[in-house]
Amino acid sequence: MSTAATTLVPARPKGRLGLAAYAAFAALVVALAVGVPTNGYVLNILMQAATFSIVVFGLTVVLGLCGQINLAQAAFFGFGAYAVGLGTTDWGGPFWLWLAVGMVLATAMGALLGASTLRLGGHYLAMVTISFQQIVTLVLINWLPVTKGPDGVGNIPRPAPFLEAHVYLGLCVAILAVVGYLVWRLPDTKLGRAMRAIRDNELAASVAGIDAYKVKVTAFAISALLGGLGGGLFAGGFAYISPDQFSFAESVIFLTMVLLGGVASPIGAVIGTSLLILIPEWLRFLKSIPGLYLAIYGAAVILIVLFMPDGIYGFVRARLERWRRPVARPGNAAALTLSGGGSAGAGTVLELSALAKHFGGLKAVDGVDLAIRRGGVHALIGPNGSGKTTTLNVISGLSRATGGQVRLDGRDITQLPAHARTQAGLGRTFQNIRLWRSMTALENVMIGAERPGSAVANDAAALEERARAALAFVGLDGRADEPIARFSYGHQRAIEIARALAADPTLLLLDEPGAGLNSTEKVELRDLLRRISARGLTILIIDHDMTLVSEVAEHITVLNFGRRIADGYSADVLKHPDVVAAYLGTAPDAPA
Amino acid sequence: MTPNRRTFAAGLAAGIAAPALIRSAFAQGGSTKIGMVVPITGPAAPSGAFAITGAKIAQEAVNKAGGVLGKPLEIVTEDDQTTNPGAVLAFSKLASQPDIIAFIGSIRSTQMHAMAPDMLKAAKPVAFGGTDPNLTKLGNPWLFRFRPNDSYSGKVIAAFGAKELGKKKWAIVHSTDAFGTAGGKALTEALPENGGAVVLDQGYANQSQDFTPVVLAIRQSGADIIGSYFTFENDLGIFARQLRQLGVNLPWVGSPSLVNAVALQLAGPTLNGTYGVADYAEEASDAARTFGKLFRAQSKAIPDNQSSWTYDAVTVLAMAINKAGSTDPQKIREAMLSVRGHQGAEGPYNFDKNGDGLHGYNIVKNDKGSIVFDKRIEFTPQLG
Amino acid sequence: MDLVLQLLFTGIGIGAVYALVALGFVLIFRATNVVNFAQGEFSMVAAFLMVLLAVDLEWPYWLAFAAALVGMAVLGAVFNLTVYYPLRHRTYLPVIISTIGASIFLANTTLALYGPQPRVLSGWFDNPGFTLGPVYVDNQYLLIIVVTAALVALQYWFFEHTLLGKKLQATSQDKEMASLLGIRVSTMIMITFVYSAVIGGIAGILVAPILFVSIQMGATIALKAFAATIIGGFGDVAGAIIGGLALGVIETFGAAYVSVPYKDGFAFLVLVAFLIFRPQGIFGERVAEKA
Repeated sequence: MSTAATTLVPARPKGRLGLAAYAAFAALVVALAVGVPTNGYVLNILMQAATFSIVVFGLTVVLGLCGQINLAQAAFFGFGAYAVGLGTTDWGGPFWLWLAVGMVLATAMGALLGASTLRLGGHYLAMVTISFQQIVTLVLINWLPVTKGPDGVGNIPRPAPFLEAHVYLGLCVAILAVVGYLVWRLPDTKLGRAMRAIRDNELAASVAGIDAYKVKVTAFAISALLGGLGGGLFAGGFAYISPDQFSFAESVIFLTMVLLGGVASPIGAVIGTSLLILIPEWLRFLKSIPGLYLAIYGAAVILIVLFMPDGIYGFVRARLERWRRPVARPGNAAALTLSGGGSAGAGTVLELSALAKHFGGLKAVDGVDLAIRRGGVHALIGPNGSGKTTTLNVISGLSRATGGQVRLDGRDITQLPAHARTQAGLGRTFQNIRLWRSMTALENVMIGAERPGSAVANDAAALEERARAALAFVGLDGRADEPIARFSYGHQRAIEIARALAADPTLLLLDEPGAGLNSTEKVELRDLLRRISARGLTILIIDHDMTLVSEVAEHITVLNFGRRIADGYSADVLKHPDVVAAYLGTAPDAPA
Repeated sequence: MTPNRRTFAAGLAAGIAAPALIRSAFAQGGSTKIGMVVPITGPAAPSGAFAITGAKIAQEAVNKAGGVLGKPLEIVTEDDQTTNPGAVLAFSKLASQPDIIAFIGSIRSTQMHAMAPDMLKAAKPVAFGGTDPNLTKLGNPWLFRFRPNDSYSGKVIAAFGAKELGKKKWAIVHSTDAFGTAGGKALTEALPENGGAVVLDQGYANQSQDFTPVVLAIRQSGADIIGSYFTFENDLGIFARQLRQLGVNLPWVGSPSLVNAVALQLAGPTLNGTYGVADYAEEASDAARTFGKLFRAQSKAIPDNQSSWTYDAVTVLAMAINKAGSTDPQKIREAMLSVRGHQGAEGPYNFDKNGDGLHGYNIVKNDKGSIVFDKRIEFTPQLG
Repeated sequence: MDLVLQLLFTGIGIGAVYALVALGFVLIFRATNVVNFAQGEFSMVAAFLMVLLAVDLEWPYWLAFAAALVGMAVLGAVFNLTVYYPLRHRTYLPVIISTIGASIFLANTTLALYGPQPRVLSGWFDNPGFTLGPVYVDNQYLLIIVVTAALVALQYWFFEHTLLGKKLQATSQDKEMASLLGIRVSTMIMITFVYSAVIGGIAGILVAPILFVSIQMGATIALKAFAATIIGGFGDVAGAIIGGLALGVIETFGAAYVSVPYKDGFAFLVLVAFLIFRPQGIFGERVAEKA
């Protein structure tokens, strides 16, 4: 989602030492917040910065990790604040209870909003969240009996023993530190990796077995949860809340904060939040001309977006990264086990019956029957526009079949979404490589290995071991920790295959794996496919390179105009008169 | 006082030397500072500009008369950005400066609510203009209101419309923000005792681009008078134009924004013949006339409540500090509470124990574009 | 019935304003695939230019109008060069933030230069309006409706019947293909920004006599125009017009028959309904299946 992120691999604290150091640092900051006497002005700024930062962490998760825009963060902030405000003053009950209620309420609203609209993306999501934000503001203003309307809610108490402002600030900072740590660690968890995969390439994420919709809704709910938490703390901190603090303008400010500081890390969120609170304060000396300092602020936002695409923290990190060289590891990975094979020739792995896919009047796939036996390499060929890639997309679930059936290992998977088919045992690669470009090779392959149901999915060490083994299988284990952008095109192709292999599929679908490779790389690819096949894994390959196809495939199926025109052993099929006619009768294919 | 004035007169005689002389005369002790939270940016910025002008006029007068505690009065302003968080930061920034001995708060009630906890902590007198009656019932001893609160405006509008104009069927139009809601409520509550009844209670959201549905509702309601609480003058201007276009020419009595300078400029002749309650009316008293003259010397605009309340606030704060004879907040507070019958630009000041200084309103009429004083309706405060 | 007709006229009038501003959104969106959050500020700046020229400097109205539009063209060009063009290869997010920054900048620079007081700008006609049967017709609204219709017709002719128009269309549909055909994509985008700024400017100047000239005027209209754009289907000119008009009418009737304070909410409720049930908008094409 951002250019420089491709070269950025955030280092995270590893192990107990890092955690201990962080905890000590956090404790020190909390102690300073509680102990150092400050005046009310500084205290208010710090209180605002601490509570806002928690809210902005929410955007780090939803926008930074998952790549989904949220312009309603102030509304979730408001849910938390109003729950605490109204709960403690009007309805009675302890602060903590209402804080929890606010968080639950915000999370529920976030999940609901996400669930109803996250199938749309980009600008549409932006619009829905803006609309939601506007409606929440209108309700806060107009629902007088409950929200007290524009008067707002005052005299909001703080919980004992945090009554004194400095102590309460310490509480906020402590919560900030804990939430910040969790958000910091999130990218390295299964959920975090799934979010990053969706952000980098949602299609590839689905094909890697990630339920993109569910993960996006989760990200949205987490964002709302943190908004609610920050809001509840804010209400206690400032004792008075009113609707205009939770307006669209505030949502825009939150978004600016996270982008300014750097969307990739909670550190960026804290930097961005603090700066955007401080800049207008620093520029107060310009107040003699109304509007001047906000004009400068607006210009500063543009300049930072122009010159620091990954925010301030991203900018600093990129400078630091230059000093770090990747460490090459010796290739001592374990051997990759592939179980999907079974004994060659036994049974049918994939069966298509009368499969059809129509786009309006265009019959891209028009009643194709196909049976792929276990073991070996099966090729699907045909001229451009013959429906090969569409067939592959229908098999892997990226498009829905108009008619017919797809059976994998005897199981009907026609109605399953893409990620569920991956869980059922499909693996695939793409014609135009779809790797997650902000991650390392290892992380890419780990997500592949992590597919639900796999034996290693819940064991971090085994997971990494399997991912390294898959990389070793394609000969790249020595460069496992390098970001994708540093790999050549051919190597990226190999990583994509390793990612599919790591999931231990029953059937591997390869969409023009030879496209764009030079002759040496093609030889390497051929050898790799032979090695995979030798392990007993069934492969269905699409390619234009007849040399490659005839060298690796035992079976060939030929499509033309969405229909099957030939099927059988390679040597026979290539001599089939219809096939010759189809290839000679159409313009020669330009390899894509 | 007298020696000071004489010194000053001598300085004036010295002509060009005067500023230098004042500076040196005042230099030994620096200045006496009052902090002022004011919207310089954001939607309320227009009112902020007037507030500053009013305060500056009073500051000049105070300094001409010898300053405060023998030092020149200085007003330190901070922008509240017309937002609550902005107001909180602006106030706490001022409150963190120990040499500021009193404050001028906001004309907007919601921002006063937001700053109130910090004001209680600061424990120094705050003069403010927000008219939500609750503000002086918070149990916060440091708040002093320099405008009549909304319970008075509702009573005055009801009394004037129902009794003086004899109109009983009311259409109330109010903004749904804090000010408008409270005002509409106060008017509704005050009508029965004056023999009036509400036939239409119509709220609207600020920054509406169109009031046709509101106007049509009024036309249908059978009302014979309109009572209004508008927050923003551009809303008022649009409403007034559409009201006249759609042929509604009912008598109209409204809150101060109906007769303020910006509204007159924006809405022009469509407001002719309307009545407004005004905390400030130029012809209401000698003090008001004096302020009007001073204001016109500073600004092309017509003097109104947006500048008169800060003028009064600075004047009365200076007076109270001088009377207290020290910067001790408690003593200043007591001096404030003992103010009786001070003739300010907005009317006679008598602070009750809650901190409300004014207890009545002027009724003014828009007579073909000029604001004419009609009468003052004064209520007897319960002075504690 | 009288009531309905009056509401309908007002609704269409206010809807035409939304439509005009929405037009600017759509043009930029089609050319660049980003939403310009500063579109409303174009209207505001133009209205202030008009106040400066026609009121303060007392130029003849038509001359001031022409000069203000020239000013907007320059602003559009500068906006493109500073706010959009350097970010053209990045995703939509930085561009959104950059246009938000520009919107803050424009609003507050105007505030710094012009002060906070709202201003009055007289309309094109001396006579404010006339009564047609039971309906009061505000001349300025009538003018807005006529100008919107004329602009749409002009735009249709321009895009369908001129070479430049076709080049612009080609650019908005497929930038890579357009550049292969020898179309200078950057020039086309520049033209789009200039034109959008001018259209936004016309909207601002036309609506100023009704809503007054204030720093906030742009933001309020833009948000509604934005909703109109979605309702009409992003990227569709006819859709934006219908969306704008529909929104104006729904809002006015909603206010009259349901609730005035929640008036602004109708726009967004309709919007959410559209997004959930018909995300392609009234006219928009089906969201393409990704593969």
